[in-house]
Amino acid sequence: MFKHLQTGNALKTVIFFTIIFYLGKILDPYNQGQLSVVLMYFVGILSITFLTGLSGQISLGQGALMAVGGYTCALVVLNLGLNYWQSIIIAVLASLVAGWILGITAARLSGPYLAGTTLVIALAIPSLANRFESVFGGDVGLSVDFGNPPEWLSSAIGEIGYEQWQLFATLPFASIALYLALNLFKSRTGRSWRAVRDHEIAASLTGVNVQRIKIFTFVVASGFAGLAGALYGLRGIVGPSVYPISLSLALLTGAVLGGLRSIGGAFIGAVLVVFLPDLIEAISGSWELAPQISNYLPAMVAGILLILTVVLNPAGVAGGLHHHKSRHK
Amino acid sequence: MEQFLAAVFAGTASGSIYALVALGLVLVWRGAGVINFAQMGQAMFSTYVASTLIMNGYSYWIAFFIALAVGTALGTAIDLLVMRPLSGKRGSAILASPAMRATVPVIASLGILGILQSAAGMIWAAEERGFPAPVSTLGLSFGGEIMPFTAFDLFVIGIVLVTLIITTIFFQKTGMGLAMRASALNPEVARLSGIRTSSVRTLSWAISGAASSLAGLLVTPSANLSPNTLDLILIIGFTATVIGGLDSLPGGVIGGFILGLVISFVNVYSSPSDIFLAILALLLIVLLVRPQGILGSKEVRRV
Repeated sequence: MFKHLQTGNALKTVIFFTIIFYLGKILDPYNQGQLSVVLMYFVGILSITFLTGLSGQISLGQGALMAVGGYTCALVVLNLGLNYWQSIIIAVLASLVAGWILGITAARLSGPYLAGTTLVIALAIPSLANRFESVFGGDVGLSVDFGNPPEWLSSAIGEIGYEQWQLFATLPFASIALYLALNLFKSRTGRSWRAVRDHEIAASLTGVNVQRIKIFTFVVASGFAGLAGALYGLRGIVGPSVYPISLSLALLTGAVLGGLRSIGGAFIGAVLVVFLPDLIEAISGSWELAPQISNYLPAMVAGILLILTVVLNPAGVAGGLHHHKSRHK
Repeated sequence: MEQFLAAVFAGTASGSIYALVALGLVLVWRGAGVINFAQMGQAMFSTYVASTLIMNGYSYWIAFFIALAVGTALGTAIDLLVMRPLSGKRGSAILASPAMRATVPVIASLGILGILQSAAGMIWAAEERGFPAPVSTLGLSFGGEIMPFTAFDLFVIGIVLVTLIITTIFFQKTGMGLAMRASALNPEVARLSGIRTSSVRTLSWAISGAASSLAGLLVTPSANLSPNTLDLILIIGFTATVIGGLDSLPGGVIGGFILGLVISFVNVYSSPSDIFLAILALLLIVLLVRPQGILGSKEVRRV
């Protein structure tokens, strides 16, 4: 799978890490927190980039896989007493297994049938959390966090604020996800995914095992989703309200706006989804709108952007940039 | 026994509404190849219009028919403004594969849902309001005995049955219905034999819009009206079509009634919080046995 890990990808990852780290030092606490949410969304959207953009399968319930990661992480922290990064690793492993099981079921289903199944799975999470309340904590959920920043870090860069630590604890995981995604994208597997998406029968005739590739997509996508879910939950609470359907839809919106088929697009999408409400408030704040209008303005703008994107520029922001670049080459 | 009968009647009444939602979804899926997640957004919007008319003193039935007209208009507008331009993009790289042609319109419909919900929130202040029923919603009494169903249940079941009969006649006996069936079966051949497939698509959207508005009008008396009230109804209706088979009108209707009864029995004999576990279990069982749904036709792989 990773026959030749490209040095270019390592370089990109290092640059990514450095820029976010630097931003984490200069931004105010609110935006540090927002930036850490961007990183979680980025990882979550990557799972959609692989599943939908690269392999053409649609899931409306990525939140369910995020919840698998989040709940595993919380249960490991609370019951086994491991620290946050050890539990994140276990959470990702659990999500890979969940993705494999879901993949075996889902490989039989196509398009809308898959969308429907994943949607219902996501909706069943609150029911499960309540059914096994003693384990999952019911509607309230389980509380976990990243703990305190380690001594060596605070002695190296000075006092670390609450939001800042959330960002710095998230960043290494997001960077690892980025590095893996960059390599997977260019790998032999990545090419098989695209082949299956574009023409299933042609792909199978050239020797691609379609069934196995589809299941593998689910495993990979759910690894990313599980990681995102664990990081998301570690902000304070793992519960049904943390992984609602609207989260799955927000991720899908981000994936489409940024560009379904590129890793840069996933990041742009994450930035758009997280900062859009802030941006709208900054612009419309001086207009003295009635609260009922300003409350619904972000959702309205997101909906309009979504439709404009699919109708005018289905490849998203990143695709548009790419198109622009190649035209002027 | 009484509890059992109550569950059967409540399940049949709500099942007939899910059947209606499923009917709207199947119509657009067959006619245009789109799963329309905005459908109950359209229904919510037209029900708000009806509610506003009633609050301003108009009669229930005037509001009722205006809401159906609004639903039809919304369906038509969505096709003309969004879906038709989108299907013209077939040449672009991202829409080249069948998988993406099924996925991208779904995303567009989610965008439309967002716009409709936020527009309703802006216009009607997102206050929850009730919506009247044209007949009593209390248990009927015959000879002093309270029956396990209400006049409104009977009204809902009756009106949905009439709608289903009209739809069946339309599809089986009229030329337009034949044209719609032909375009759903094979658009290429239909176009070659002189059917204007783009008008047929728009008609599917329009009829589906009317059907979903009707569902909205029938379901809101038992729930409060808010921009998000009908999300759950859409999801259940969608599950009904998946269970019944997406390309089969009778399949969707059967799926709707099955889900109505299952939900009602879980409600009565277990707890409402188990509803989605039950739906998930039902969905998985059906799809493991028949991945194309109960009455859906199997996808034939052709090179």
